[in-house]
Amino acid sequence: MQLKRPRSPLHLGLMAASCALLSDSARAQAAPDDAAEKPLQIDTDLLYYKENAGRVQTIEPVVSLKKDFGDQRLLDGTLTLDTLSGATPNGAIPSRKPQTFASPSSTSLTPKPGYKTTLYTIAPGDLPQDPHFKERRVAGDLDWSQPIGLDNTVSYGGHASTEHDFDSVAVHVGLSHDFNEKNTTLSAGINEEYDRIHAHGGNPVAGSDYALYEKEPSQTKNLAGGLIGVTQVMRRNWLTELNYTFDHSQGYLTDPYRIISVLDDTGAVTGYRYENRPDTRTRQSLYWVNKVALGPTVLDLSYRRGKDSWGIGSDTVDAKLRIDLGSGMSLEPHARWYHQSAADFYNLYLSETGPAPTYMSADPRLAAFAATTFGLKFGIATRRNGELSLRLEQYQQRPSDQASSLAELQGLDLNPNLKATIVQLSWHLEY
Amino acid sequence: MRRRAGAGRRHAFTALLAAVLLLVAISPPAPAASGAELLDLAAFKGQVVYLDFWASWCAPCRQSFPWMNRLQGELGRDGLVVIAVNVDRERADADRFLHEHPAQFRIVYDPDGLLPEKFGVRGMPTSFLIDRSGHVQARHEGFLVRDRDALTQQVRALVLAH
Amino acid sequence: MRIQSIARLAILLSLMLGACGCTSLGVKPWQREILARPEMALNAAPIDAAIDDHIYFSKEAASGGRSFAGGGCGCN
Repeated sequence: MQLKRPRSPLHLGLMAASCALLSDSARAQAAPDDAAEKPLQIDTDLLYYKENAGRVQTIEPVVSLKKDFGDQRLLDGTLTLDTLSGATPNGAIPSRKPQTFASPSSTSLTPKPGYKTTLYTIAPGDLPQDPHFKERRVAGDLDWSQPIGLDNTVSYGGHASTEHDFDSVAVHVGLSHDFNEKNTTLSAGINEEYDRIHAHGGNPVAGSDYALYEKEPSQTKNLAGGLIGVTQVMRRNWLTELNYTFDHSQGYLTDPYRIISVLDDTGAVTGYRYENRPDTRTRQSLYWVNKVALGPTVLDLSYRRGKDSWGIGSDTVDAKLRIDLGSGMSLEPHARWYHQSAADFYNLYLSETGPAPTYMSADPRLAAFAATTFGLKFGIATRRNGELSLRLEQYQQRPSDQASSLAELQGLDLNPNLKATIVQLSWHLEY
Repeated sequence: MRRRAGAGRRHAFTALLAAVLLLVAISPPAPAASGAELLDLAAFKGQVVYLDFWASWCAPCRQSFPWMNRLQGELGRDGLVVIAVNVDRERADADRFLHEHPAQFRIVYDPDGLLPEKFGVRGMPTSFLIDRSGHVQARHEGFLVRDRDALTQQVRALVLAH
Repeated sequence: MRIQSIARLAILLSLMLGACGCTSLGVKPWQREILARPEMALNAAPIDAAIDDHIYFSKEAASGGRSFAGGGCGCN
């Protein structure tokens, strides 16, 4: 199961937050007055992410450069490298009997001359996971923003990423307008993305019988989206932003690696099917964020409500409190609560009796669950207006449906809780 | 069942938002405008005044200060007076800025913001070019590096005009 | 045409913001000393935010909102 990166953030919402021509770095340093004071910012980060039960693990270095060409003309480039390994659930549920699957890179389910078959067997009661998962991904982002007149900013940029089974390119354009003495900012943006999916071993025919192991050549999908937002200075110490986002995807939206167990009336496995998702998806979200300064402490509080055409509704509450410890040190506790409802076509398993549904998926990411994150970030100021920080977080997902009343499934945890540890080291420098 | 729960959440959220906005709608009254005791421009009649409003937290001000130093140095003997009004709430912040960007011109401290209110400042930084009879000839919002030369020319023209 | 409930919520919020006389909200241009602090910027830690978005995008069905949604293998 791969970690894929969405679009780079749109900087527009920042514009209302500060004085007319305030650059992102408001830290004071003497410098020649010809160019911007500290025109170059370099950020290097290292992320370590590890899930429980031998699941996904990733190490991800990120390098980001931001150059100010004077008068708020900014160029921002980021390079991300991702190496992922570990076991990833394949969508089938645990069973009382051992289960054998072929790794997706296999070209045949059963050993045959001239074909590659890598099988893995899951012990009774264990969650079926493919232990051969290994991926390396490279992603790049480039963004430009500049003012138009005193009250407007335009920004545009692109993103590209590649890995063994997935390539993506995307572009975005945004515009923002300040008024009310820069107390209010209106933003709007659009983005377009084009992806190619060429799974290891080929993309399976969606909804087909796993035993047939039918594969197809690469598929594509694309996404078009838009955002409108308003940022408002509420008080001297309180800034708020409200964003409405909308996007529509179409094409191959199915996960090429996931299957769904087919069970008889007692709960014994009779086979598997490849999952099949609709070929369109429309999503909307409303995001409300607040920044409140309480003396030297800053509270970041946000709420997001999401809904999509697959029937998934979500609520997210995120809170961070940045505490100034003095001497350039800071501590920031973080808490996030998340809840989502299941997709209309999500099921833990399929029953072999009764008609097969058109769309089906047992992907835990489409299930109903609640998730929490608790974290702490410690930062210390360094030379060159820099900062070194360490962030430690613990993420936990608790699905709603984890058991079944079927005889063969008694006592089995069909969708176990997920736990992940996040460690991030960051280094910020200015030249 | 799912829909009902969602509607309940939304109503709670809307009620919370309404409460928050109600609190915010009550804004404190504006202070009485004054400022004459801080700065009396009449005292500078006969000279050209470059009146600048700055703050320690205003990034472009770090570039405007060396420029204003040069301007004061070049045109001081011809009758230019640069006056920079500081609007920091905390004097310590202004002092820290001045330590890093020394000023060879007059500084006026206005922590209550009486002068920017009186002059109708709409953005930071803002500068006013005032002629020898005390009339505002030009007003500049912001300090852009690309406009610097044109601004220098404008000040020079007004000071050296006879 | 049926308006989605989120769009309805957005319209409701905007109307409420307008009704409270939001044009009178805000601060004078010289009163932005707190807002000018780097930690008060809405994207104060952009890489942290990008990393978080990346993680939650691959583990959850909802994504984005603060930036553009999308990307990834379509596995959500």
